[in-house]
Amino acid sequence: MLKGADIVLKCLRAEGVELVFGYPGGAIMPLYDALEGSGVRHILTRHEQGAVFAAEGYARVTGEVGVAMATSGPGATNLVTGIADAKMDSVPLVCITGQVRSALIGTDAFQETDVFGVTLSLTKWSRLVRTIDEIPEAIAEGFYWARSGRPGPVVIDIPTDMLKAKKEFSGPVKFMPHARAADAKADGGFTDTIVALLRQSAKPVALVGAGAKLSGAVPELRRLLDDLNIPTFATVHGLGAVPPEAPYYLGMVGMHGTRAANTALNETDLLFVFGARLDDRVTGEPTRFAPHAKIVHFEIDPAQLDRVRPCEVPVIGNLADTIPAFHAELRKIPTSRKNSETWGTLVPDFSGWRAVACGPERAELDPRGLAQPTIRFLDELFSRLPEKSVVIADVGQHQMWAAQRYRSSSPRGFITSGGLGAMGFALPAAVGVQLAKPDTCVLCVSGDGGFQMNIQELATVRRLGLPVKMVIVDNKYLGMVRQWQQLFYQRNYAETDLSDNPDFVEIAKAYKIHSFRLNEDAMREFPVSTETGDEIDRFLRSPEPELLVFDCAPEANVFPMVPAGAALSEMLLEEEPAQ
Amino acid sequence: MQTFHIRYRNTQGTLMRILNAASRRALDLPVVHAEPSEHDHLVTLALEVNQKQVGQLYREWYGIADVIKVSSGAALASAWTVAHPPAGVPLEESRAAARA
Repeated sequence: MLKGADIVLKCLRAEGVELVFGYPGGAIMPLYDALEGSGVRHILTRHEQGAVFAAEGYARVTGEVGVAMATSGPGATNLVTGIADAKMDSVPLVCITGQVRSALIGTDAFQETDVFGVTLSLTKWSRLVRTIDEIPEAIAEGFYWARSGRPGPVVIDIPTDMLKAKKEFSGPVKFMPHARAADAKADGGFTDTIVALLRQSAKPVALVGAGAKLSGAVPELRRLLDDLNIPTFATVHGLGAVPPEAPYYLGMVGMHGTRAANTALNETDLLFVFGARLDDRVTGEPTRFAPHAKIVHFEIDPAQLDRVRPCEVPVIGNLADTIPAFHAELRKIPTSRKNSETWGTLVPDFSGWRAVACGPERAELDPRGLAQPTIRFLDELFSRLPEKSVVIADVGQHQMWAAQRYRSSSPRGFITSGGLGAMGFALPAAVGVQLAKPDTCVLCVSGDGGFQMNIQELATVRRLGLPVKMVIVDNKYLGMVRQWQQLFYQRNYAETDLSDNPDFVEIAKAYKIHSFRLNEDAMREFPVSTETGDEIDRFLRSPEPELLVFDCAPEANVFPMVPAGAALSEMLLEEEPAQ
Repeated sequence: MQTFHIRYRNTQGTLMRILNAASRRALDLPVVHAEPSEHDHLVTLALEVNQKQVGQLYREWYGIADVIKVSSGAALASAWTVAHPPAGVPLEESRAAARA
C-alpha cells in the first residue's frame, strides 16, 4: 500500500523527473512529507512565482518538462503568471497543486481556490483529481499533453486527502492518446506548391520562430536556408536558430527589429514562416504586414494559422518532418532553374539591407548617444561569454537591447519571456537554467524594475551556491514604459520614476552575494580599458554568484522602434516627437 | 448566425474550453446545447461570427485535447470540409494560382 503522495512521486520519476521547484503549504504538505528518499530533488524558491519561472527556465534550456509545486489557494494563484507565460511561449510545464480536502471543495474553505477554473484558459490540459485511483493516469496524461504537439502548461490539482489516502500501486501507467483529426499530417502535395511559388517569387524571405528550435529542426532548417540563400530573420524566440554570421541573416524582426529585416518583410512577395505565431510585436499593424507577400506557414499548431493574416499555404506538422520534405523537393530543381532571372535580382537589395542595419552599424541609429554605453556594455559581455553560455533576459529595454546585440548560434542560448512579457522572469528562470546546466555560464540580464519583482530569489541563488551571473541595467526608470511615455504621451512620466531604488549592491551583500557597480562612463572609450575588460572577464568566470549593477542613462531609448499600431515600414529610427 | 457542432469526449473542462474559445473573443452565446451522442458528447453552438473568426474557432477547438470533430451548418459546410481550412484563399485555389 502506498500513499497518494508516494504514487505522485513514483509517477514523476517514471516521467523522467529529477528536479521539481516549489514552495510548501498546508494542502500539499503530504507530498512534501514524502519527498525524502523519493529520488525527486526539490528546489525551494522563496515565492511560488519564482518556482514556476525556475521550472520554465529548466524546461526552456533542456526541452524537458519543467515541474512546479505549490499549495492550494494563494500558492496556486501565484503560479498563474508562469502558467500563462508557458502557454504563450510553448514551454512544457506541469504544475502540481495541493487542494483542500475533497469534502471541503466548493465551500470557500481556508485557502481554497478554484485552480482548475482559474487556469482553464491558460492550460493545454488540466485535471482536478477526484480519487486516488486517478493519480497515475492524470500524471501520465498531463505529461503527454505538456510535451506533445506545441508544448504547453498543464495543471494537476490534487486534494490533500488524496495525497494522504493509501492504495495498492501496480506502477505508473502509459497514456495512449485517442486518434484526433487535429493530429493529421500535412499532405505531401504542399511541396510542389511551395516550389512553384518560390519559382515565381522575386523577393522571397524567411522568418524563423521558436518552433524551429522546439521541434529540434534547427540542423534541417540551417541546411534548407543555406540552399535557399534568401534574406532570413528571426523573432526574439528564434534567435540562435540561424547562425548570426550566415550571409543571408538580417537579425531580429519586429517592433525593435533591424531596419533590414523589417524592410525585407515590407518588400517581400513570398514569406516563409518557420514556427512563429506572428504576434503583433512581430507583424506591426496586421493589415499592413508583408503587404505584397504570399505566406507559406510551417507550423505544428493549427490554431496559430491565419490569426493575423491568411496564409496561402499552411504546412501543418512537426517542422522536423515538413522541412526535410520541402527541402527534398527543392533539391530536385536544377541550380540553373533555381537561380532564375527573377531570383537573381534579389541580390543587390539583399546586400543593401545588410549594409544599412545589421551588426555594429546599428549603433549609428542612436543620435543622442544615450544608449551607446549600454549597447557597448552588452557587446562586451556577450563577446566575452564562454562558449555555450546561456543568456536570460528579463522584460523591458534591456531585453530588447540584449536581443538586438545577442550573437550566438546556440539554439537554446537566449531565453526570455517573449509572449507574455512577464517582468521578474529572468532571475528565477536563471536558477532553473543553472541547475539544468551546472557547468555552463548563465548570464541573467534584468532591469531595475524587473529585478525587484523576484528579488527574493537571491536567497535561492545563495542557498544553492549557484554561480549565476546577474546584471542589472539600472536606469532608475521602468525604462520601456518611460520610452513610450516620452514618445507617445508627451513625456508624462507617470509612475515610472524609480530613482528611489534601493542600493542593489548592498542588497546583494545582505544575501551574501558579491556585487559591484559599473558606471556607463567605463563604456565611453572604445575599445574599453584593459581594467574594465578584465573585470568583466573575472565576473563572467567567477565560480560564485555575482551581481553587477550597470548604471545606464535614464533616458536612453531602444531603436529602431515600430510604434504600436504602425506598419513595420514605419519604424522610428530616432526620437521623433509624437504628433 | 452560424451553427457549429462539436463532438467531444466529456472529460473535465472540455466543454468549458470549447465555450471559452468563443467567450474570449467576446462572442455572445445565445444558443448552447450539449448532450450525449453515441459514445461521446455533442455541443451545438450558434454564434455571430465573421469568416476570420470561423477559421480561428475551428482551429482552436481542434486544438483542445478531447475534441473529436468540428462541423458547421449548411452555409459553411462546403467551405470548411477539412480539419484545418485556411481562412483566406482556399488551398486548391492557391495551388492552382501557383502552378499557373
